[in-house]
Amino acid sequence: MKSKLAIALLISAVSTAAFAGAAEDLQVKFRQSAYSFAAWNASKIKSQTIDHPETFNKDQVIAAANAIAAVANSGLAALYGPGTDQATGWKKSRLKPEFFQKQDEVKKVATEFNQAANELQKVAATGDIGAIKTQFGKVGEACKNCHDSFRTKDDK
Amino acid sequence: MSVAIQVWDLPLRIFHWLLALAVLSAVVTGEIGGSLIDWHGRIGVLILGLLVFRLVWGFVGTSHARFTNFFPTPAKIKAYLKGHWKGHGHNPLGALSVLALLAVLFTLVGAGLFANDDIAFEGPLFPLVSKSLSDKLSAIHYYGFNVLAVLLFLHIAAIVFYAKVKKHNLVIPMITGRKIVPKDQAIEVSKFGIRRFVVALSISVFVAWGVESGVQYLSPAKAAPAVVQSW
Repeated sequence: MKSKLAIALLISAVSTAAFAGAAEDLQVKFRQSAYSFAAWNASKIKSQTIDHPETFNKDQVIAAANAIAAVANSGLAALYGPGTDQATGWKKSRLKPEFFQKQDEVKKVATEFNQAANELQKVAATGDIGAIKTQFGKVGEACKNCHDSFRTKDDK
Repeated sequence: MSVAIQVWDLPLRIFHWLLALAVLSAVVTGEIGGSLIDWHGRIGVLILGLLVFRLVWGFVGTSHARFTNFFPTPAKIKAYLKGHWKGHGHNPLGALSVLALLAVLFTLVGAGLFANDDIAFEGPLFPLVSKSLSDKLSAIHYYGFNVLAVLLFLHIAAIVFYAKVKKHNLVIPMITGRKIVPKDQAIEVSKFGIRRFVVALSISVFVAWGVESGVQYLSPAKAAPAVVQSW
């Protein structure tokens, strides 16, 4: 009887340890995936408008801009739960702890990113390479603003 | 009696002011980011070319440009601090500052060539390293700037100190190349060799071109734009 109780306690202790932070880790994994996917699409737009404009393909640029806007509008805030600055997705999160203290500023930079991504989607639909380049730069600035404020420069 | 003598040769002065302008532009474009990050990268390659030129010029330039002539040994620094130094080029403390600036700039540029910003920018040599190594070098590039900022502050503070306290203008010689010294100490530097200049310039242009455009020959598969399928 006593040994069974001990085993039960041991199992629950081990499983609690194993699953502690699992939800947070998953949030980090999803958001790292989301931004990586957005970055892949950004690299396609950059390649076709800035580095190799001779390869410009309107449909592909529209598809890439749509994908970035979809990521921005997907409700990423849900992936920034408490404790996710300490969690590990594909790798350890680089979110700064002050993210949770500066929610007004978070909202500001996040909204700027959403607006810039939505505008890029609109501009991409026109097929105007010059305008796409300009707006693409603004999306990059929005990314940078958040990185500068809320992302550590190296792995924690 | 005082006379004006040549201390800094023309290539050295052009190097200095181009470097100052390039570093300032790199700081501004790096801070703003966005579309300017590509210019940050190009300016970095220009700085690399300038640094390589200075390195070569340190062996083949005129006397005050040569590392062997101003390398700050402890004995020289001691003598300088006691007021016994009588040269016209970099004084031993200034030489320390020069070498530190060059070393830090080389480190920043070297790391920057492999860096990425996780947005849409990669240094020209990024395809040659793994993403995690690039991330580490990006952090070095970022934090290393603080060291550069301290050195630049000391550099400018020293110039102000010399101008205000020692009544010694260091800026004008770096523009005109000429410095006023007591007549009995006047040793004019020789004219710079034009062939040596061409060699130094060629080496620096070749290195800058190599990192900007040469990666496609080292790693053609990674440098080519991906072919996008219809699905």
